[in-house]
Amino acid sequence: MASDAPLLEVAGISKAFPGVQALSSVDFVLHRGEVVALIGENGAGKSTLMKVLAGVHRPDAGLLRLLGQAVELRGPADALARGIALIHQELSLCDNLTVAAAVYLGAELRKGPFLRERAMQHGARAVLAQVGLHVDPRQLVATLSPGQKQLLEIGRALRAEARVLIMDEPTSSLTQVEAERLFEVTDELRRRGVGIVYISHRLGEVSRLADRVVGLRDGRNSGEIPGREATHERMVSLMVGRTLSQEQRPSHSPGEVVLRVRGVRTAAFPEACVDFEVRSGEVVGIAGLLGSGRSELLRALFGADRALAGQIEVGGVPLQRHGPAAAAAAGLVLAPEDRKLQGLVLGMSVRDNLSLPTLHRRGRFIDRAYERDLCARSIAELGIRTAGGGQVVGSLSGGNQQKVVLGKWLAANPKVLVLDEPTRGVDVGARAEIYARLHELAGAGLAVLFVSSELEEVLSLADRVLVLNHGRIAGELPRARLSEETIMMLATGMEVA
Amino acid sequence: MRILPLVLLSLLAACGSKPAAPTPVGGADPAAKPKLAFVTNCVAEFWTIGKHGVEAAAKQFDCDVTVHMPPKNTVSEQQQILQDLIARGTKGIAVSPIDPSNMTGLLDDIAARATVVTHDSDAPASKRLAYIGMDNYEAGRLCGKLIVEAVPQGGPIVILVGNLDQDNARRRRQGIIDELLGRSMDPTRFDAQDAKLKGDKFEIRATFTDQTDHPKCKATAQDALTRWNDLACMVGLFEYEPPLILEAVQSAGRLGKVAMVAFDENEQTLQGILDGHIHGTVVQNPYEYGFQSVALLNKLVREPDATKRAALLPKDGFLNIPARQIRKDNVRAFWDDLKQKTGKK
Amino acid sequence: MKKILGIAALLVVIALTTTWLSWDASSQSYTFLSGYNLQNLLQRIGMFGVLSIAAAFVIVTGGIDLSIGSVVCVAGCMLPWLLRDHGVPPLIAMPLVLLLCAAIGLWHGLLIVGLGLQPFVVTLCGLLLYRGVMRAFTGDQTMGLGGTADELRWLATGRIPITESFGLPAPLLVLALVAVVTSIFWTRTVAGRHLFALGRNEEAARFAGVATGRLTVLAYVLCSLLAGLGGCLFVLDVNSAQASSFGNFYELYAIAGAVLGGVALRGGEGMVLGVVLGACLMQLLQNTINLVADSNQLEFAVVGAVILAGAAVDEGVRRFFRRRR
Repeated sequence: MASDAPLLEVAGISKAFPGVQALSSVDFVLHRGEVVALIGENGAGKSTLMKVLAGVHRPDAGLLRLLGQAVELRGPADALARGIALIHQELSLCDNLTVAAAVYLGAELRKGPFLRERAMQHGARAVLAQVGLHVDPRQLVATLSPGQKQLLEIGRALRAEARVLIMDEPTSSLTQVEAERLFEVTDELRRRGVGIVYISHRLGEVSRLADRVVGLRDGRNSGEIPGREATHERMVSLMVGRTLSQEQRPSHSPGEVVLRVRGVRTAAFPEACVDFEVRSGEVVGIAGLLGSGRSELLRALFGADRALAGQIEVGGVPLQRHGPAAAAAAGLVLAPEDRKLQGLVLGMSVRDNLSLPTLHRRGRFIDRAYERDLCARSIAELGIRTAGGGQVVGSLSGGNQQKVVLGKWLAANPKVLVLDEPTRGVDVGARAEIYARLHELAGAGLAVLFVSSELEEVLSLADRVLVLNHGRIAGELPRARLSEETIMMLATGMEVA
Repeated sequence: MRILPLVLLSLLAACGSKPAAPTPVGGADPAAKPKLAFVTNCVAEFWTIGKHGVEAAAKQFDCDVTVHMPPKNTVSEQQQILQDLIARGTKGIAVSPIDPSNMTGLLDDIAARATVVTHDSDAPASKRLAYIGMDNYEAGRLCGKLIVEAVPQGGPIVILVGNLDQDNARRRRQGIIDELLGRSMDPTRFDAQDAKLKGDKFEIRATFTDQTDHPKCKATAQDALTRWNDLACMVGLFEYEPPLILEAVQSAGRLGKVAMVAFDENEQTLQGILDGHIHGTVVQNPYEYGFQSVALLNKLVREPDATKRAALLPKDGFLNIPARQIRKDNVRAFWDDLKQKTGKK
Repeated sequence: MKKILGIAALLVVIALTTTWLSWDASSQSYTFLSGYNLQNLLQRIGMFGVLSIAAAFVIVTGGIDLSIGSVVCVAGCMLPWLLRDHGVPPLIAMPLVLLLCAAIGLWHGLLIVGLGLQPFVVTLCGLLLYRGVMRAFTGDQTMGLGGTADELRWLATGRIPITESFGLPAPLLVLALVAVVTSIFWTRTVAGRHLFALGRNEEAARFAGVATGRLTVLAYVLCSLLAGLGGCLFVLDVNSAQASSFGNFYELYAIAGAVLGGVALRGGEGMVLGVVLGACLMQLLQNTINLVADSNQLEFAVVGAVILAGAAVDEGVRRFFRRRR
């Protein structure tokens, strides 16, 4: 009987938080050797469902069945003991541990009070080989790339003999190559009978991997599509309940040069010299593999890191002083890569975050009227979904947080808007809104410079693309010559005819 | 390892066979300037006066004396000072032990390596050669007599003390209590800090400690005045306390209602006596402590002969430098003398 | 606001208990409520409150200042030195002392921001350094004012009569002034907003163009300046200072007051009113013990136990409400 029962069955799960019904009566089924993709906008209830499955939250109503048996998960450790493992979105491994220690964290092999280091190294090597990660178990986790860390997380789940893997945005910080490697591992796990719940905003991945696609909207099931039929349009309508029109990309007419970068060198690539220009009304993308010095370049432009050499002119005026304050005053602002650490003061309110960079322009004392106006204007113009300006920014979804970052810098009337990974962790709906807003701003004469690991994003947003390779500009592609192939060739150091 | 017993034996033999010979035991050399040290139990103005006595004696007897004041008033600090002195080859040490009953071992150890006398506070169980100072119990009784003079009709009193784990503080307090309750002389008696103490006339309401924190002392005095509106007298046993008690009584508007009796010779205490607010104070003679300690150590260290040395010691090993009562009638004369000794005039 | 409700409640409970226990049958009154006691208590709150606000300034930046007690000692010894030993007029001497203390804060700030040393290390060394230097400087002599600052002493011992038996103590007015100015600084000025932002997330604040380094230095300068002001008040109150013991442990009273009042040690959180209430609680407890206990041997134990119990109850109540929501 047990053999034909589904691996995992979610039946009528409901969960409410103060003021929000996060899940109402959600059902889905996961069979052995199956990949079920869970899609939905931020706030649709995906992460709540995931936390219910991983034993973090207890459902208010409904049942979980593992191989036909009703189970009550008493906590994450209990879930793991029953074979349900969560692969976190934010890589949660402790950087200061060795690979072997990370694989066995919480279940160390021991002899009495002593650790059996050898046995753990051996075991870690074996289990990591299964996911195709061939590293020395004695090296530190900190030395691994994000893709390797993701594989390590999966290896850890396999070590715990997980039968159900929950992968939450597994590719969000991976390069194209690393993501491809992850897909292969996923296929292999599927062949071996592991059931996988796959959560992603990247619809391309979803249609590539999923056997079935389950949609969530406002905490309810919004439908299910077999993997073969999961086209981009159908999945979007499953998520947003309507079809997003693929708007025609507006064309911009570049004006005069507002950002001129001459001979800039960063600490990451001291020998590589970068020169380029950005005109007003132009959207310029910077592409390149992870570690090609993209973020370092942006941070140096903004003065967050000190550039080793070079000159940066904004609106024809060279930056004299170093530092974010000076750059912002000159009209160059940065929406940084790590929103939680650098972009926002998470514990402060939406209003206080919005006014933070510009408040000092309004005098020594806090101009409350200005703050209120700015907050109301930003919420309306950018469509920030929040309970009010007083809400703590850390409780907003990723997309809304990114809109707050945009709002606070737009208040500074910048000449050049620099964005590092503008839509990381942002859902489809908010992503479209942010793209539209950026096009609009460029139309109004702002110069936009951005870095993105997602080629799709680079292709849809940029007028012109600079491709970095080892800190140097390997090539420049005008819109007419933009394609995934040309970018990848330049990024990997090949010549483009 | 094998040589050590031999050396010891021959040393013993040498001592036994020629008791009168001028053997440089402990390296004593009558011609050289002896290295001496004067160690106090805390940092205070009081000891500055003592230091003047030390300096005067050092000059007179031609010896090198260093003065050490442990700032935190802790045993461990004092222990370190003593051990460092030995390491530096100091020949004679006069010390005011912070916690005598628990320092016997340490003092014996030091006494085995140098000539040790105690001053100000004694450690009778140790192997120190002599004690120079006053009997704190007797001083306490003198203070008790001042209280009786100040409030002959009796009443409740409060005692303030920096801390009570010091032998001299305990004995001073006990002397006051025994005098007020009309008990017999018994310096070994000790009443707990929170004991209920009531005699025919006097009642000791409380003893408060302040860990030598001046603002805290003032606060404690103020709070005692708040708590009891029938207080007859307040006593401060540490040098800095009487002036702060005086300020508290003054600001409470209870001058004339609450009598005050003091210990030591803080300038403001003396001024308070001149003004008639403080009835009197019991003063020690730190100048003499310093002077006599150095005088005695000097004699002992320069005398190589053990039997002759023993003859130099005061009777019963106690050199009494008696405490005095200072009242309005003799405060002027005392103060002038003090100013002269501290060189403030 | 919610964070200070707990401490306010604890304060009221202890005040009521003390009042009740302080009944004096002979005078038919509660001694705790006597004008004399209240003005004494408020005076102490004034002096220690200034120190707690000093501590709070650096704690909101996510730092710590362990040298407050030693800076109190510096001010307490230098003020009599200038006034009595050098005959400097009071109105010049006190600003000079405050300037010196501010310079100490500047030194801390530069070491922390410029060299990247940890605040704990810098100020712990300061704690030892300044007290040691003052002991050597004063030769362990008691530094007395000796009647040279009788007008200035009004700042510490003065009263503004309200009724016959009660006057508002001057240090409370000093604290009120410091508290109001600090509160305006924290909640109404851009620099204050920036200070709290950097306390919560220094990196994000820097990325938003906030001059985080300069503000951190400013916080340490203000902390030491206020500690110096507190030191002046203390020495003016008791008339003399002894370098070896003056202000010993006061940094802990100051930090305890600030933290009790809801200033989070991780930074970026706190209200001036809470800090003042925290300082009130510390002084009230001492007063309670003196008014009620037979001896003050248990004092530290009582203070520790009450604060711990208060913190535990506060956290318990908060959890209870969080679960109910």
